[in-house]
Amino acid sequence: MDSLERYRGIVPEFERLIESIVRPLPVTVRINTLKTDRDRLLFRLREAKVPYLPFSWYDLGLELEVEKPGNLIENLMGHVHVQEEISMVSPVVLDPKPEERVLDLCAAPGSKTTQIAQMMENRGLLAANDPANTRVASLRSNCERAGAVNVVVTRYDGRRFPSQKFDRVLVDAPCTGQGMARKDLSVLDRWSLKRSLGLQRLQRALLKRATELAKPGGVVVYSTCTFAPEENEAVVSWVTDQVRQVRLEKVSIPSLESCPGLVEWDGSLFGHEMEKCARYYPHQNDTGGFFVAKLIKE
Amino acid sequence: MSQSSLKNRSPFQPLDRAEVAEMMQSRFGIPPATFEGVSFYRKGRNVWAFSLPEIPDLWCESVGLRFMSVRGRVWKPTTYALQLFGHLATKNAVDLGPDQAEKFIAGGRQSLEAELEDGYVVVSYRGGVLGCGLYSRGELVSQLPKERRIMKDGIENCLSGGDS
Repeated sequence: MDSLERYRGIVPEFERLIESIVRPLPVTVRINTLKTDRDRLLFRLREAKVPYLPFSWYDLGLELEVEKPGNLIENLMGHVHVQEEISMVSPVVLDPKPEERVLDLCAAPGSKTTQIAQMMENRGLLAANDPANTRVASLRSNCERAGAVNVVVTRYDGRRFPSQKFDRVLVDAPCTGQGMARKDLSVLDRWSLKRSLGLQRLQRALLKRATELAKPGGVVVYSTCTFAPEENEAVVSWVTDQVRQVRLEKVSIPSLESCPGLVEWDGSLFGHEMEKCARYYPHQNDTGGFFVAKLIKE
Repeated sequence: MSQSSLKNRSPFQPLDRAEVAEMMQSRFGIPPATFEGVSFYRKGRNVWAFSLPEIPDLWCESVGLRFMSVRGRVWKPTTYALQLFGHLATKNAVDLGPDQAEKFIAGGRQSLEAELEDGYVVVSYRGGVLGCGLYSRGELVSQLPKERRIMKDGIENCLSGGDS
């Protein structure tokens, strides 16, 4: 918990954040429209007497009252994908379309990948990249269960992904994961400034490469599940300084409470542009913590 | 390595769509038009279904979905292919009752009287495809991948309700 103390000055109702972080996350799933539709899935859940509550902001997200959603027969069929509510935000911000070329640069284990695949209606190209051999197995398995036929799995170092052009690129970057504390409190003890700064180098290089891979007019979305500004605004503002041809677009999702990105932190000035980014704190929507930025390539 | 050489070295070899579609039609009655937007590739024993007529210039670990495996003249559809396309089957498809579905998703075998030809069949429960089964001499054997099976203790709430 001590590692959260540094955010007391930037988080509204900080005490509520501390209270919420010890509560387990609600069980949430995404309806997989590659295999079913919302009406049919809700009908099945009602018949099986599984209580559900639709999200206020996303009609394919559901909170379920079950202990083990992985044991639902609808999960075996691939009609639902167990996914934390707030992680459904990045694909929604990315807003991919059928027939486009899309890159998911840090894809494993594939929750966001399969969400993107269904938004593309299984058409076009979705390159799902992850360098780690161990994580690629779960990525491939999730794509198959989802029924994604438009996904190719690659294993490049994302900083050196081959020169190709994409309409949209998602960088859901490796991070210190403080926002996942409700799943595993020990992430807070493992946090250190040194770890954040170490990851920052990687995150900057990944996001910079992503902006190079985007077509003119293309969209790059950067997200993390950590609160540390070193891994969020400090990454985005560095890249927008380095790469002249990108600008930020405001992230705003109706019915989902958020805070603007930080203008400054610990003596570093990021500028007012960073207010276009969105910070999601666990007590705002009863979710994990998250950060999202949307960049447009000129 | 130039990009063209990367493509030439791709281990995924294109297949004739009509040939694969014909296999699905003759066994399951799935209309060939279903696969109009899909291209098929072979790598080793596996046939893959992919959204594009060309493999991108990238070194790919996988290309779309494992669709079937081929051993000599015997081919077997994957559970994932049937979960995606099996609802269109007009023959060699069976909808199980709750007790039968329970056995099937646990990976078991069971005797079953149904109008099925011997061979691979589409297995459903309450209209949703569970996956691939092997039917032979009045017995149905689950072909669900081991990691997808759900044992009896786990399914107490997932098969309740419905028309049972």
